[in-house]
Parts: sequence; C-alpha cells; structure tokens
Amino acid sequence: MLAGALFLIGLPLLAQDEYQLHLACLIGCYWILIAGLNLAVGYTGQLSIGHVGLLAIGAYVFAILAGRNGVNPYLALGAAGGMGGLCGLLLGLPSLRLPGFYFAMSTLAFALIVSELILAQGGLTGGGVGLAVPGFPKPVDTPAGFYCLVLAVSAVVSLLAWNVARHMWGRALIAVRDSAVAAAAVGVPLFRLKLTVFVFSGVTAGLAGALFASLQSYITPDTFVFDLGLFFFVCIIIGGRGSILGPFLGTVVLTVLPEAVAPLARLGNFFYGLLLLMVVLLLPEGIGRLVSVLRERFWPVRLESVAVAPDLPRLARALGHKQP
Amino acid sequence: MLAALVTGIATGAVYAAVALAYNLMFSTSKVLSVTTGHLCMLGGVLGAWAMGNAHLPMPVALALAVAGGGLAGWITDVVAIRRVLARSDEHLWLLSTLALATMLQQAVGLWWGTEPKPFPRLLAQDFGAGLGDQKYWLPVVVAAAAALGLELFYRRTLYGKLFLAMSEDAFAARARGIPTDRIRSLSYVMAGMLGALAGFAAGQLTFAFFALGLTLTLNGFIALAVGGLGSNRGALAGGLALGLVNSLATYGLGGEYQQTISVGLLLLVLLLRPQGLFGVRALRPV
Repeated sequence: MLAGALFLIGLPLLAQDEYQLHLACLIGCYWILIAGLNLAVGYTGQLSIGHVGLLAIGAYVFAILAGRNGVNPYLALGAAGGMGGLCGLLLGLPSLRLPGFYFAMSTLAFALIVSELILAQGGLTGGGVGLAVPGFPKPVDTPAGFYCLVLAVSAVVSLLAWNVARHMWGRALIAVRDSAVAAAAVGVPLFRLKLTVFVFSGVTAGLAGALFASLQSYITPDTFVFDLGLFFFVCIIIGGRGSILGPFLGTVVLTVLPEAVAPLARLGNFFYGLLLLMVVLLLPEGIGRLVSVLRERFWPVRLESVAVAPDLPRLARALGHKQP
Repeated sequence: MLAALVTGIATGAVYAAVALAYNLMFSTSKVLSVTTGHLCMLGGVLGAWAMGNAHLPMPVALALAVAGGGLAGWITDVVAIRRVLARSDEHLWLLSTLALATMLQQAVGLWWGTEPKPFPRLLAQDFGAGLGDQKYWLPVVVAAAAALGLELFYRRTLYGKLFLAMSEDAFAARARGIPTDRIRSLSYVMAGMLGALAGFAAGQLTFAFFALGLTLTLNGFIALAVGGLGSNRGALAGGLALGLVNSLATYGLGGEYQQTISVGLLLLVLLLRPQGLFGVRALRPV
C-alpha cells in the first residue's frame, strides 16, 4: 500500500519521457470518473453506459469558463464538478426510477443528446470545430506539476469513494444491487440512495472532464464518442463489481494495453467487447476473482474428515438412564 | 410538409420493425437484447455487399441478408443469453448482449468500412417518383407484413402458441414438456431474420452504415417503451409516433434536436402511462 503510494508520487521522476507522464495523467483522469461511476455501477448496480455525456459537460464547462471568459482555472474546475453533479441530478431524477434496461438506455440517450446539443449550440461550444482549452497556472503548468494535480484530485476522490464503500453506505449500496426489494424491506431509502450516489458520480465525472480537457488542450465533440463511455463501463466490470482496487487495475491495464500492443488499438472496441463478454460469461465477479478461482483449482483446500466418536456413557447420563 | 410526413412514416416503420424484433425475443426470454438494432444493420450491410459488391441478383441477396440476420440472432442466443439466463442475476444479460453488440458493430466496421455506403435499387423504378419512391413504401410494407405475419403466427400455429405459453410462464411451459431452450433459440433466429429483412428493405432510406445499429437499438426501444412492452400493436403505434414526431420536429426546428425530442417523447409517455400505450401494468415484484 505504502510502496504503491510512493511509486505514484515518485512517478514524475521515474518516467523516461513526457509521453509516459501523459499516459499516467490520462489514467488519473479516467480513474477520477471511474471511482465515482464504480459506486453507481459496481456497488449499486445502476448500469450507466452514458457517463461520457457528463464527462463532456465537465470538459466544456471548464473550456468555456477558463478559456473564453478567463475565470481562474481552479474555480472553473470546481464549477465543472458542480455542473456535472447538477446534470447528474437532472438525469438521475427521472431515469433512476426506471428498471435496469430502461435506465441503461436513458443514459445512452443522454450521452447522444449531449453530443447533439454541443453540435447544435455552436456559438457557445464551437460546434464541430471545437474549443481550445487552457492549462493551469504555475506551478501546475509543467507535465509533472499537472500530474501532481491529477494525483491529488484522484487521491481525494478515491478516499471519498473508499470511505463510502466500506461503511454502512457501502453495505446499503450492495444490498440495493443484490435485491432492491429486500433492501427496501430493511429500510434502505432506495431512490434517495441511488440518487445521491449518482450525483456523486456526476461530480467526479465533471472534475474528470475538466482535467481531461486541460490535458488534451483541445476538445471537439468527437473527443467524447460513445465508445469512451463503453470503455469506462468495461473497466469497472472487468475489474470486478463491488471492489475499488479491481476497477483501478482495470483502468490502468485497459488504458496501457492498446498503447503497448499496436494490433489491439486497431481492433479497438472489438477487443473491449470480447473482453467484456469473456468476463461476463466466465468470471462474473471480475478478474480479481481469477486469483481465488485458480488457487482453488490448483491448491484446493483439503477438507479433513474428523472421526466423531460418540461419548455413549455421557449421553446415557444426560438422558437419565441408569448405568448398567 | 407532405415530405416530412412520408419520411416520418417510413422511418417510423423501421423503428416499428426493430420494436417487433425486440418483442419476439422478449416473449420467450424476458430479455431486451442490445443487439436488436445491430441485426437490422446487418441486413442492410449484407444486402448492400451482396448486390453492390458481389453483383448477386436481388432475391439471392435478400436470402443471404435474412440468413445472416438469423445466424446473428442464433449467435446472440447461444453466446449471450443461454449461459446467462441460467444464473439469476438480472443485469448479466444486459452486459453480455452489450458486449456482443459492440463486437458485431466493430467487426462490421472493420470489414465494411466506417463510411455510410449507398444501397442499390431493389426494384426497377425511376428516380423521379418523388414521394412514391420505393425507399419510402418498402419499409412500411415490410413492417406491416411482419406485424400481420406475427399475429397469424401467434394465433394459428402450434409454435406461436408455444411462444405465448413461454411468455406467460417459462417455468410452467417447461414443466408441461415444452423444450424451452429450443423455442428460445427459434425466437432469436426469427427475430434476427425479421430485423435483417427490415434492414434490407430500409437500406435505401438509412444507407448501409455500421453505426446504425446503436441508433436503431435506442430508437426501436423508445418505440417499444412508448407503445408498451410485449404488445405488437403498441410496437407499430410507437414506431409510427416516434418517426412522425422526429420528422415533424426536424421539419419545424431543424435537424439538430432529433434525439432530444425522441427522448422527450419517451419521458412524457413514461410519466403519464408507465406501462406504455398498449402495455399491461406490471405487478410489484415482491
């Protein structure tokens, strides 16, 4: 745990070139979104495939405020998070009442609507041409400094998510995922809980969008294709539902893998789909479960048979029989 | 105005056909498959390839497209549904069909290219026919014929009655000796063939485009939810309503807000009548 934290902090010193650092920042941005989304998808079982819409909203709010109106980037970052939360609330209010497939389809529709509105409101968002996004002021203007900012935000978000997950809240979320009826019967306020978690995931998506936009330095509607939303979703499912570390590893691996293995990048979505299908069919608990499955396969826990000899005289005494 | 109406009815018929395919799969498995729109897309792409690139005659291309759609439907059942339905987790089928739909879309994108390509003429007709052009009435004819055929199939044939029995209660049907797995496979093959037929007939309207599947999945689902899940009449009505609202909105407001308006229609109907126009109110799942 400590070694991992030290590694993350020391990464700017270890990285050989700026590209690796860029990749690390990208992973950080994705993780900020996925940490929030994981609470909604992995813990609560609300399968939102359209979070890319919230990411786009955060990115555009940041670009418009900080780039065009000259607002302080840190304020703009906060505003992006707030706007993400607000849009999450607006999306969640009607759609979280709907059952599984209806909810997934309404988030998909939301993602399409957002890109449609971005194209339609060309005066505000630059339309299909896109917007230039400013960086952050000193001392965050270098790649290493920006990495530290991303690291700080993702640490805070991870801590929040972890705190939610391991306390009573997290238990309630898992109860909602496993059986909504049973959860309601033991007094979990279903709708309010789902809405709160969804708004939280909206805030993290907005923050992630702002940082993502600043990292990319230029955004167009094509930056936020639906496939990106699918990617977030796959990261969580592959990592394993109901865990924090699993989706984190999923994010890292799925971001790095297409960069490292060129043929995979060409296959793109096909690869993600195949991976998702294999995980759903073979390991519905996620890759994290693979370790324990393999361990049970190769080093099965021996069930030792213990002979139980009845103590007949004591039994007889207990039953009140006379000793022969 | 008249052009907007005709376009609306034609696209509405495509949505209605997708909604019918949804219904067919839903009746036997209670699963709403994400691949439904992709089956339709497959019909269009296969047809365009067979007629445009391989220069096959129209009936052969039609047979090929329908067979391809049926195969894709069968694969959906075998790969994404069969193993998952055995477990009781209700989210898993959504994930597995989503994964399969992604793979299907990307495979077609890699093979066919990511540009929309024109679909060849199906029947010999002059291009000057205006609103009487085949690209407007072919989807309508196919959707109407499919709805009528399904109605006859459900009422008149033994297999149709087996479908109805499974849609009422799959466990009871199994207990009465109905091979539920085979019937479910059959329903997926039929849905695939229906979707591909619709995609083939609508190819000139939609073009052969690999990303069409996701749009059709969403819009077909909106048509289904508006009309009422499980009802074929509702699927037709919902599809037509969605197509008309979409094209009239495009006519009045311009094309930028199409998706927004169709989702607005869905939300309005779900607020007023959660079960849809022709649906049956579901009981509380306790």
